[in-house]
Amino acid sequence: MAESQKGSPQFDCSNLEQALREESPELIAALEQHATSCESCRAELNIWREISAAALTMHKEWESPALWPRIENSLQTEIARPRGWRAWFADLNLIPQMRWQIALATLVLMAASGAGAWLLLHRSTSTPVNDAHLLTDQAVQQVEQAQKTYEQSIDKLAKLAEPKLNAASTPLLKNYREKLNLLDAAISECRTNLERNQANAYLRSELLSFYQEKQQTLEQVLREE
Amino acid sequence: MPRLDDPAAESLRVEARAADARLSAACRAGNIEAYEELYRAQSSRMKSIALNLLGNAHDAEDVVQETFLKIHRGIRYFKGQSAFSTWTYRILVNCCYDMRRKKTRRMETAEQDLVADDQTFDSPAPMHDHPLRMALEKCVQQLTPYLRSVFVLYEVEGFKHAEIGLMLGISEMASKNALYQAKRKLRELLSQQAGSGQMAASQS
Repeated sequence: MAESQKGSPQFDCSNLEQALREESPELIAALEQHATSCESCRAELNIWREISAAALTMHKEWESPALWPRIENSLQTEIARPRGWRAWFADLNLIPQMRWQIALATLVLMAASGAGAWLLLHRSTSTPVNDAHLLTDQAVQQVEQAQKTYEQSIDKLAKLAEPKLNAASTPLLKNYREKLNLLDAAISECRTNLERNQANAYLRSELLSFYQEKQQTLEQVLREE
Repeated sequence: MPRLDDPAAESLRVEARAADARLSAACRAGNIEAYEELYRAQSSRMKSIALNLLGNAHDAEDVVQETFLKIHRGIRYFKGQSAFSTWTYRILVNCCYDMRRKKTRRMETAEQDLVADDQTFDSPAPMHDHPLRMALEKCVQQLTPYLRSVFVLYEVEGFKHAEIGLMLGISEMASKNALYQAKRKLRELLSQQAGSGQMAASQS
């Protein structure tokens, strides 16, 4: 590139890229002047210009008589079509008389969904302890009341059967007595546990099954000759 | 295609802007005649741009049709931040990108030879030919979409870097840089082609 520097003091080969990139008239003029004495830059500039000249011939024009009618048709269809939510609604192709009813049904559905969602959220926030085994205070009171009444009736039944059990002479009656003792022990243990955890629904159902078993056994004792 | 860089063209540009504003207002009103006027004024250039970006005349015409539909759908968002014609060319270039993307995806799913198809260039005959034209057309198809767009818009269609910047959403300087990169890559590709051509000639 030494010989090129003789040609133009303002421009040397290192400025070639900048000139081709920026294409400012001053830099291109300087490059042209420099190119008269620098073969490599002249070759580069010529290739660059050849590409530009060839590119101009890449512009093509051809007749397309069917194109505008196609565009016109599609534009007319597009212009005739309603826009936005109306377009969506029109696309449903509904019977015109039914449209307001469907709109109303949609509104009702949306309101019902909203209310359902609100209730679900509200319920989940008002019951922070979501355990199936635990009862609420109100429910515990109701269960305890029913349980007391049930216990009292079973106690009455037990009093009726007591003389018969005390005078048990047959193996069957002795077995019943043994079973009733075991059931009383289980009931007592279950009640002790319930005192510690009154809202435990599982313990309550277990206690109920013991009482039912006791009731059935007492009835069998009373039926025994 | 002359490039309107000289100051004498300024008055023409002012007139063009007034015509642009009138045309865009008529198109916004859904006036089909306005669209026809736009078609008459821009379709040749639109088809040429699309052809050079997509590689075949059939796709180019489809894209021009799609561009007019998109102009109609988007005209209410056009606020005159650029010339109406520049805005329409921006839509055209985006439609070309979309079309090319769709075609590439289709070819990938159909497991066809994408490279072979990319290199085919089905174009109408040019008005004035140049010995480099055919080789250049093939090489342009090998450029990235971005470099190809800048090259086609500047060198083939004669837009200014400022206009290209508005069309592609880039700065004027970025457009100049892209053009330089595109031409450098084309020079490299053309040299390779010339080399392989010489090799083929010497082998035969």
